Formats: sequence, C-alpha cells, structure tokens
Amino acid sequence: MLNLSLWVLLFPLLGFLILGLVGRMMSRAVILTVAWGACGLAFLFATMSFFSMLGTTPASARTVDQVVYTWVNSGSLHITFGQLFDPLSATMLMVVTGVGLLIHIYSAGYMEHDPGFWRFFSFLNFFIFAMVLLVTADNFLFLLVGWALVGLASFLLIGFWYQRQAAVAAAQKALVINVIGDFGLLLAIFLIFNSFGSLNYHDVFGMLGSATAGSATITAICLLLFVACAAKSAQLPLYMWLPDAMEGPTPVSALIHAATMVTAGVYLVARTSPLFEQAPIALNTVAAIGGATALFAATIALFQFDIKRVLAYSTISQLGYMFMSEGVHNYSGGIFHLTTHAYFKALLFLGAGAVIHALSDEQDIRQMGGLRSRLPITFWTFLIAALAISGIPPFAGFWSKDEILSSLLVQATNTGNLWFYILWGTGLLTAALTAFYMFRLLLGIFMGDYRGSEYIHEAPPVMTVPLIVLAVLSVVGGFVGSFGLIGLARWQPLANFLAPLFATVHAPEVSLGWEWTSTALSIGLAVLGILSAWVLYRKGFAYKENRNPLYQLVLHKYYVDEALSLFIVQPVLALGRAATRWLEGGVLDGGSRNLALLLHGTSALLRRLQTGYVRNYALAILLGAVLIIVYYAVRG
Amino acid sequence: MGLTLNHFLILGAILFCIGLYGAISKRNAIAVLMGIEIMLNAVNVTMIGFSFFNHVKPYSTYLTGQIFAIFIITVAAAEAAVALAMIIAIYRKRETVDVGEIDIMKW
Repeated sequence: MLNLSLWVLLFPLLGFLILGLVGRMMSRAVILTVAWGACGLAFLFATMSFFSMLGTTPASARTVDQVVYTWVNSGSLHITFGQLFDPLSATMLMVVTGVGLLIHIYSAGYMEHDPGFWRFFSFLNFFIFAMVLLVTADNFLFLLVGWALVGLASFLLIGFWYQRQAAVAAAQKALVINVIGDFGLLLAIFLIFNSFGSLNYHDVFGMLGSATAGSATITAICLLLFVACAAKSAQLPLYMWLPDAMEGPTPVSALIHAATMVTAGVYLVARTSPLFEQAPIALNTVAAIGGATALFAATIALFQFDIKRVLAYSTISQLGYMFMSEGVHNYSGGIFHLTTHAYFKALLFLGAGAVIHALSDEQDIRQMGGLRSRLPITFWTFLIAALAISGIPPFAGFWSKDEILSSLLVQATNTGNLWFYILWGTGLLTAALTAFYMFRLLLGIFMGDYRGSEYIHEAPPVMTVPLIVLAVLSVVGGFVGSFGLIGLARWQPLANFLAPLFATVHAPEVSLGWEWTSTALSIGLAVLGILSAWVLYRKGFAYKENRNPLYQLVLHKYYVDEALSLFIVQPVLALGRAATRWLEGGVLDGGSRNLALLLHGTSALLRRLQTGYVRNYALAILLGAVLIIVYYAVRG
Repeated sequence: MGLTLNHFLILGAILFCIGLYGAISKRNAIAVLMGIEIMLNAVNVTMIGFSFFNHVKPYSTYLTGQIFAIFIITVAAAEAAVALAMIIAIYRKRETVDVGEIDIMKW
C-alpha cells in the first residue's frame, strides 16, 4: 500500500516556512502558488494514499505505522516520531487537506486587499501542517504536539487582525481555553505512561483487556482526554472561545469550524475508542455533555444577529451531535457526521464570507435582506448547505444526523435506560431548532428587501468555485454513509471502511423499525422548523424589541461570558495585580535590592584589606606559602 | 668528602631567604627586583642539584631539571625586562621608585 502521509505533512510545513521567511518580498501570484501548491500537493498525496488504501485487501492490511525517527530513547521511555496511516487517519486527511484546499483557494479572493496577505497564507499552511501532524501521529506525545500546534495556529489566525482589540482578546481567550485542554491531555498522557509504560497507540490498546475494563485509572484517563476534547471541540463548559473566534477572517472561521481544530476532539475520542469502550462512565459523560451542548448552543443560535455567530453556535451544536454519537458506541457515525459537517459548515461559512465580502464587512442580519437576486450563486449554495444541516434528505447532513439519532434511539431501546431516551429527545429537539435557526438566517439574509445601504457585488469566481464544489459535496457527501436505513450493510462504505478500527466496540443491535421511527420523526421536526421559520421570516427579517426575560436571557447567551468575567476573569486579574504589587514589588524586587545592599556594605569593609602596596601582597603570598608548608609538615 | 645534594639544597635555601628578605624589606623597586631574581636563581640551584644527584634508574639519565633551569633563566630575563620597563614608566609618572609610596594596585 502506498503511504505518502509524510509528504502530506511536509508540504504544508514547507509552504509555511517559505511564506513565513520570505513571503513579505513575494508578489501575490507567487504567494498563491506556494500556498495553493503546498496544500494542493498535500491533498494530492493524501488522495493517492487514500485510493491506494481502498485498493488494499484484506482490511487488516490497511494499517501502516511508519516510524520516521526515534525522538527519545531513555530507559523505559521510548518515543518515536511515527506516522500511523489507517482508515481513520486517511479519512481525516482527506477532509483536512480537501476542505483546507478549497478554503485556501477561497481565501485568495476574500483576503485580496489585505496587507497581511503573505502572513495569512503562511498561517493557513501552518494550520494544515499542525492538523495533519495531529491526525497522523502514532503516539500520544506527537498527538499532543499536533494538538498544541493547532491551538497555536488558531491563536495566530483568530488574532490575525491584531490591530483590533476584540480580535486580540478573542485570540487570547481561545489560547487560554485551549491550554486548559492541553493540560488535560498532558495529564492523561502521564497517566497512560504510568499505567501502560508506553505512549504508542498500538502498544497501549494492545494492553487493554478484561482485567483493565472499568478500572478507575482508565476512567480517569478517558475523562482527562475528554477535557482536552471539550476544550478543542468547544463543548460545555469550555465552548466560550469558539463564538469569539469569529473575530478572525471568515475563511479562518471556516477552517477552524469545518476542516481542522474542532474536529480534533471528535477524532481523538474515535482514535482512543478502545480506552473509552472500557470506561462506560466516561463514555456516558461524553454522550451527556454532547447532548447538553447540542441543545444549549442551538438555543443560543436562535436569536443571534451576527451571521457568523449563528454559524458558530450551530457548529458547537453539531459537534455535540458527534460526541453524542460516540457516546453511544457509534464512532463511525461521529466521524461520518464530521465529514458531512465539514462540507456544509465550510460552505455555510464561505457563503457567509461571500455575503460579508459583498456588503463590505457587514455581519448583522438586521442590515441585510433581499440578497437572493443579487448574490444568486451564494444564495443557492447557502440554501443547499442550510438544507443539509437541517437534515432534509437527500442532502449530506440528513444521512449522518439521522444515523446519530437512530443509534441514540437504538441504544435507548436496547438498554431501556431513560437517560438515553432523554438524549434522543434532545437530539430531535436540537434538529428542529437547527432547521429553524438556519432558515431564519437564510431568510433573513436573502429574502425580503435589502435593509442596508452598502453597494453590493457578487464574489469573484475564485470565491464562488469553492462554494459550488462544497455545495456538490454537501449534496452527495452523505452517500458514502448511511444506507443502513434500508438495512443493507454493504451500502455503508464509510462505516465498513472504518470498521477495523472499532473492532472492540460493543455495537448495539440494530433495529430497522426504531431507525425508521427516528428518521421519520427527525424529518418531520426539521420540516416543522423550516416551516416555522418560513412563516415568521418569509417577508424578510424584521427586528422587534422584545422585553421577554427568557428572550433576553437567550439573546445574551445566558450571560455566560458576563458570569465568567465576573467570577473567574476579574478575580484572577485582581490577584495578578495584587501579586505584581506585593509579591513582585515587595518580596522579589525588595529581596534582591536588600541582598545587593548587604553585599555592597560587606565589600566596602573587606576592600580595606587591599592596600595597593606591593610589599603587603608579597607578604601575604609568603604567609600563604608558609601556611601550606606548615600544613604538609604537620600532616606528615 | 665532596659536594653532596645537601650542600646544594642549603645553598638554595640561603639564597632564597636572602632574596625573600630583599624583596620584602627593600624600598627601592630595583632592589626588590634583584631580590626576586635571587629567589629565582635559588630555585635554579635546587633544580640542578636534584637533577645532578639523582641516581634512580631510569630518571638519572633525564635532564628535566637542568632544562627547567634554562627555561627559568629565560623567563626571568623576560620578566626583568618587563619589570624594568614598568619601573621606568612609574618613575616618569611619579618621580619615585619607592615601593612604599606606590599604592595604585588596588580596586
């Protein structure tokens, strides 16, 4: 089997280095050649490896662990830089480099007039590099390296317009919350090394058995891993950075939300599924947090006015779906939703970017409306994406969302546990809310009359072509997944492709009847959501002041940011200021100043010994020599 | 009764003490320099004595001590030249070569 994952990794790195070092002196055409070339070659090599893997049988031969070099070899600690190329990382590579490439192309149009053109593409390539490193690492330590680099890349890109106060604050927020996650991952890695003596996936998973099942250590490892996932994938209670990340340029939002970054958490849970399978408590936590996040974020998205914020909360909500799916043992369902979500969410963001670009940086839907005829390509692609995310067949989102919902219901009926029924209900409710707020957004932007005053122009082809490609993917992307509805196993190529990885999973028994029930309900609710939005916003979006306290609560995002600021950020800042004054000014600076004074005083006294007369020195030497001789004479 | 190693050592010790006394007690910088030269030559005498009276095989065939003495003579000559130059420089600046009045070798 052809394995080119090292090249997939190297080209974006090369692109980043070239653009970062000499990009300033390059013309736009050269910058684009390097950036597109790096990402395009990465995609090409990923595709070649992927198809080579498809041609490899049996499925067990599809895993290659290629050791590039040994990084640490010290006692029992043996860490190699190896690249694991298996169906999961192949799928991730395709999504990361493929959607990443489309975003690279689109950015050329969106960032055309930005003075930091070279810097932007350098960071984009770096982002792709970090993400590729993350998904191809064959051990937990390099996973952590990729994990932290992705966080750094997001910091750089969110704060790309560093002249804006809000962008800098958002970048800091993202970095701080990501570091909380990194810390969780680091602790998990310590625990893993302590319990298994190795950090390699293969070694660690090989040591799992009935003896380790359900042990407290495994549960702790999984919960710590999930802390990392929650921070990276913006789940409760660490989701706050993602809406603020909208301060970055829109292509960055698309990259963070669709292809890279937030998918890392979903990937990690799928990658460590053998561990999670042994920790039912952790797995239930994953499902519960996923469900809570899905509903919570969907309700916030209902009443936002900033189009990018609506999309941001919808991303958080959709990630909740993926975690719910993984929480009920349906890992391939989570990955499936990850891929389809990458298509339609990238499309939504790029479409939103086209709208924002057309309106000269206007993001408030109250200032939009009636753009249907003026931005036709954007409108139709946005409509496709909205249908896909709402779960209307046959668009991509329908298949993946429905697989998740039906696996929730199947899990509920199999275990008879009320909590899984509640989780399923949450998923259905979220589906209805999703359909509603997506169409509220769509109708608000494109229907009615134009409410703003800017001159409107459709995006150039360099921006619309990626939209069209992603729209096509949003239509057909679901067909790689779920024909489980009609009970044909061989019509589930993606699940079968990923199956060797999840061999240890206790997959629940599938019941076609329940799946149909779930599907019918979710389609019904999605249509209901769309119809409600149609009734309310058909004539365009009209903002009315609403004093209802519940509405105000949701509008202000449950006052989470305010509470966070009041209870955590302000006390920490006050502590920092106090420490500056007392600890640093008083103890550290004062201490060192006193020490310096003490030394100054003693040396002023000792200096008197040094007379400057040559005879005194000679006498001192003589005395010393005599003392040495006496010492040896006495000692014998 | 001929010359033995002890004669050389005693001569060396006497010369060293004379040189030391001169170097410490004399006020004239030239005289201090002369004292130092005498100390150096006292060491030379002991070196050559040890070298000449060593009968332990195979060290008796080695001339290390004598070669060392020649080195010391060479270095002493260089040192004397440097020291005299410094004394002249000090004299030009301060009109004195009395080491009791020169106290600039501090801080």
